[in-house]
Amino acid sequence: MDWGAARVSLWLAGLTALTLLPASLWMSRWLATSTSRSRPVIEAALLLPLLLPPTVIGFYLLTSLSGASAIGAWLAKHFGLHLVFTFEGLLFASWLINLPFMVQPLQRAFAAIPRSVREAAWVSGLSTWRTFWRIELPLAWPGVLAGAALTFAHTLGEFGVVLMVGGNIAGQTRTMSIAIYDRVQAFDNAAAQQMSLVLVGLSLAALALVFALGRRNPLQER
Amino acid sequence: MLSVEVFQDTPVPLAARFDCKPGELVALVGPSGSGKSTLLRCIAGLMHPSRGRISCGERTWLDTASGLRLAPQQRRVGLVFQHYALFPHLSALHNVALASARPDADAHAADLLARLGLDGLFTRRPSELSGGQQQRVALARALAREPDVLLLDEPFSAVDQPARHDLYRELAELHRTVALPIVLVTHDLHEARRLADRMVIIDAGCTLQQGTPAQVLSQPRNARVAELVGIQNHFEGVFRQGSVSGWGRLHWGADGGPELQVKDKRRIEEGAAVTWVVPAEYISVHRRAPSGPNVQRARLSEALPLGDIALCRFELVDVRAAVQLHQTTAQLQRGELVVGEEVFLQLDPAGVHIMPRRALPPPG
Repeated sequence: MDWGAARVSLWLAGLTALTLLPASLWMSRWLATSTSRSRPVIEAALLLPLLLPPTVIGFYLLTSLSGASAIGAWLAKHFGLHLVFTFEGLLFASWLINLPFMVQPLQRAFAAIPRSVREAAWVSGLSTWRTFWRIELPLAWPGVLAGAALTFAHTLGEFGVVLMVGGNIAGQTRTMSIAIYDRVQAFDNAAAQQMSLVLVGLSLAALALVFALGRRNPLQER
Repeated sequence: MLSVEVFQDTPVPLAARFDCKPGELVALVGPSGSGKSTLLRCIAGLMHPSRGRISCGERTWLDTASGLRLAPQQRRVGLVFQHYALFPHLSALHNVALASARPDADAHAADLLARLGLDGLFTRRPSELSGGQQQRVALARALAREPDVLLLDEPFSAVDQPARHDLYRELAELHRTVALPIVLVTHDLHEARRLADRMVIIDAGCTLQQGTPAQVLSQPRNARVAELVGIQNHFEGVFRQGSVSGWGRLHWGADGGPELQVKDKRRIEEGAAVTWVVPAEYISVHRRAPSGPNVQRARLSEALPLGDIALCRFELVDVRAAVQLHQTTAQLQRGELVVGEEVFLQLDPAGVHIMPRRALPPPG
């Protein structure tokens, strides 16, 4: 068992789920309620990471974020930020590839709130902000947890993008899925087996949580 | 006083103007899709018409001329939604308390719920309440805001018949005790007639007529209103001014048709083609020819039993027209009325209301 890889994986998965949440909440609520014409384009762009091969995303990120690229050079010069073969780079890549996993359940949760419930809150004197905190977020809560759980599980299992952007640096960018690949290459099937089981267990637990929460939705208690 | 004037062409055409005094219950009545709920949404600030002015007491909520458009939160409106729109994750008490601006919001909410007969149900969520109980919670929430106007959007449509009668009583009681303008949206004429002080008839976003239910139902302004308020007996005719002042003659069907004596209110020109209505309570059925004016021979062609009453169709002998009236089933059973038999219908001149003829829109 590669404990360093386990630590990197759990840290990356947890941090991705947590830091992606605020922007996803804003974006998914907008997508659920907006009538803007640009909505379908934005929705399609958000779903793109589901269809593109991870190596393609990894390749584009690698070339656009490397020190030789304009963006990479600008980030390094102004913020001292190096996003290739670093944990920060992994986190950034994780945000992009996890957007559909976080936004989709949230968008569905917000869209399931009847418009009249929002309007009832406004007519009752609640500001838009208070309506969000007191009414919309509690009602969308199962979607929030589902999005976070899916993001967490998907980050744990991500391989292609992580390998391309992060490389395979022990203790920094080597995640469990890469460690498993490493162990198989080294004919250490026992260690690969152990880590695979841990990943299966964690993913299963995350999915079970998603389904359990789906059943406790107050909007369906009618 | 609530005063409403709203106009727009799209997406829902509106040309509505009405007001509602404190302590008055005004019913907005019209068919589905006529814009009643849209009007209510305009008052609540949930949508803004292109042109118009809405004010309540001293405060102006909307004035498109000066660009004033207050948000729903800035208007003191209590709105009961058609399907209540209760917050499903909150208890009855918290649903109501959230709308109260008082420091003792929970106590205020408890008091309102208790007044509406919901003692002991404070901790229940909406899904654990019956339709009638949910409606009361929605009403308590609307009142918790301490509104300047109470708006009710088809509040009885989702409640079963027995609970509906209790709720009618409670609304009538509330209407007596609170001095608020109350606007009730309904497509149910009986509901409007039973509860409202005044009715506003709305069709395709336009206010067609307003007045007390008795006025609107007995003197519809035009054929469309007559149709909307469900007056079955409306006919065509030609109006002739009479020789006696205050009285005119109405030729049923066309010039030369059977002549009826009617009141001349000096609003209809000599020889004008008219639509005319006569509410059922102004028509009497006789087996022998009665004395007095406006007696017409008719044959009972059909009697459709509807429980205690039967819908009877009388075909006139001297003109191609039929009058529909409700008679008691007992009368038919006792043989006082026999299908196929000729009878005499007498139309009380006081109930005959004449309007300028206007083409009715095609059905559907």
